[in-house]
Amino acid sequence: MPGADKETDLSERIEAFLSDLKRGGSGTGPLRGSAETARETTALLRRVTAQARWSSAGDLMEIIRKEGRRMTAAQPSETTVGNMIRRVLKIIREEYARSRGSSEETDQQESLHKLLTSGGLSEENFRQHFAPLKANVIEAINELLTELEGTTDNIAMQALEHIHSNEVIMTIGRSRTVEAFLKDAARKRKFHVIVAECAPFCQGHEMATSLSKAGIETTVITDAAIFAVMSRVNKVIIGTQTVLANGGLRAVNGTHTLALAAKHHSTPLIVCAPMFKLSPQVKNIYIYLSLSLSLSLSLSVCVCEILSKVNVHCPVFDYVPPELITLFISNIGGHAPSYIYRLMSELYHPEDHEL
Amino acid sequence: MNEEELVEYFRTQMRKDPDMASAVAAIRTLREFLKRDKGETILGLRESLTWATDCLTGVDSSVAVSSGGELFLRFISLTSLEHQVTDARHIVSGLHTGTDNSGLQRLWCTLAAGLISCCLSQDLSRCKKVMEERGELFLEKISMSRAKVAKLCHTFIKDGAKILTHSYSRVVLRVLEKAAAEKKRFSVYVTESQPDAAGRQMAEALGKLNVPVTVVLDAAVGYVLEKVDLVIVGAEGVVESGGIINKIGTYQMALCSKAHNKPFYVVAESFKFVRLYPLNQQDVPDKFKYKADTLKTVQNLSDEHPMIDYTPPSLITLLFTDLGVLTPSAVSDELIKLYL
Repeated sequence: MPGADKETDLSERIEAFLSDLKRGGSGTGPLRGSAETARETTALLRRVTAQARWSSAGDLMEIIRKEGRRMTAAQPSETTVGNMIRRVLKIIREEYARSRGSSEETDQQESLHKLLTSGGLSEENFRQHFAPLKANVIEAINELLTELEGTTDNIAMQALEHIHSNEVIMTIGRSRTVEAFLKDAARKRKFHVIVAECAPFCQGHEMATSLSKAGIETTVITDAAIFAVMSRVNKVIIGTQTVLANGGLRAVNGTHTLALAAKHHSTPLIVCAPMFKLSPQVKNIYIYLSLSLSLSLSLSVCVCEILSKVNVHCPVFDYVPPELITLFISNIGGHAPSYIYRLMSELYHPEDHEL
Repeated sequence: MNEEELVEYFRTQMRKDPDMASAVAAIRTLREFLKRDKGETILGLRESLTWATDCLTGVDSSVAVSSGGELFLRFISLTSLEHQVTDARHIVSGLHTGTDNSGLQRLWCTLAAGLISCCLSQDLSRCKKVMEERGELFLEKISMSRAKVAKLCHTFIKDGAKILTHSYSRVVLRVLEKAAAEKKRFSVYVTESQPDAAGRQMAEALGKLNVPVTVVLDAAVGYVLEKVDLVIVGAEGVVESGGIINKIGTYQMALCSKAHNKPFYVVAESFKFVRLYPLNQQDVPDKFKYKADTLKTVQNLSDEHPMIDYTPPSLITLLFTDLGVLTPSAVSDELIKLYL
């Protein structure tokens, strides 16, 4: 039966995606960039919308939430998956509201105004059936996919406004977004880049190789030298894994050090982050050591006797508070960290913060 | 309802439920006033409500009562405008574009309202009925606000945390209750908070929850901060800039937390948002700084000790409200949505 085939096909794809996510986190599978993850998640959600059985918006949202919970549980550190799910949920809500013809799209947030003027404790349960809803939602998801495809280019286009000739730029580790950003500026300007290698995986080396192939003068430094070199740097441009709701970052380890050094020297810190990295989580006061990977790879020179007596912690991510950041450059333009809460309210619905 | 009845009703509300916020008691009193009001026009209603709010601030001069009163007044205006819109639709139907409640639409509504300013008495009673229903709903919603705040905030209290708080705040108490109910282990330092030693009341209440609590002198805030993980305080009012007005000593605590790099969290319900923008301590109006009796009896206010101070938004990490977890910059957004 074609219906059953579709369903098994769909669940197969979801299972494949989940196992991919799990492998990506443990370091054994291919390391995927967050842009790819975002695109794949959105494509998968579009498939779910097209192939799963649902009759009302509420059903669809329930299905997506269920799949979403499984996906985020598979790889909690990959926040782009959760972000895309929330975007799609917001799309569904908007399309539903539009189909109903209500002008309440803008009033979906809780606000003092809404508290005062709403007519009743109306629970919107999304139970009405609309025939064109499926097509509208799929169309909207397609628009989202187009947006995702263009994010790196949109960010790179803004490079010329921020980088001037003969500047010294510092960055850390390897970020595809920053790479594209710097390469775009290098077409018209001549500047110098210093890359902090970001031990223990030393992704900074790959970044430096890639930049120098594009004709940019690059220098690699160790993480310990960041403060020492900072006095000669004009700007610090970094990428990040996630942008948190309070304007802070969850970025590769070493970024907090870099941010503090930049603050000390009053050097502007610019973060290139596409909108799909914006997550509704707010940082808790305790820094979470997500993914401490074993250092057995890099401690190859270590003597065995010591290894049995020593505990090695290697956090993969750092938290950077919003006070240290000067500017966020995203695919929709530049923003101050204090504005992030506003962008978040436009991208996600408050009820979807908890999947 | 004359002044004595008003004040008596307010006092009874406060006595009946000591756990209720003073703003909520004020709103209840104003709603009762609305019920008993015999006015004929909306304008008259607004005037008498303004007078009633002034009477109430004469009893309890806190910021919360003033903000509650203003919110109720705002609620009246919005409801009455909406109601008049439905009547005036046949006049201005061509001008509506059907978009959200923009300022422009409201402007047209006001104009239309002016055109049909002869509000027939049956229209007024209908309008009042809607107001009463909405008022009931509003009170229901804000009675749930403390629970919402507690739900948001307790996740920020980790196991083994040491918390510092200031004076007696029912919202903070609620948050700590929720955290204790979630089986989290934490200990609390409370400042004594002179001149009324309200901190001791807080310590007693926390003791009942079996939370280890220590009362410290107001002067010992800097001393104790190195041991503390986070600071949580309530607020009597949240101002437009995102700063707060709270019991005297809060500003000091915020400054010390900043110096020690400890997060400074504020928990407040959304009806405490007030349309003030003080730039420094002197900017806060005198009517909030001192108790109502002091204002009436004392000649020279400069001899009196202020009961509240203003904490600027730069010292606040996050605000937990029933509208969500807000950064101080988000507060003005909320206020604009309501008042403009």
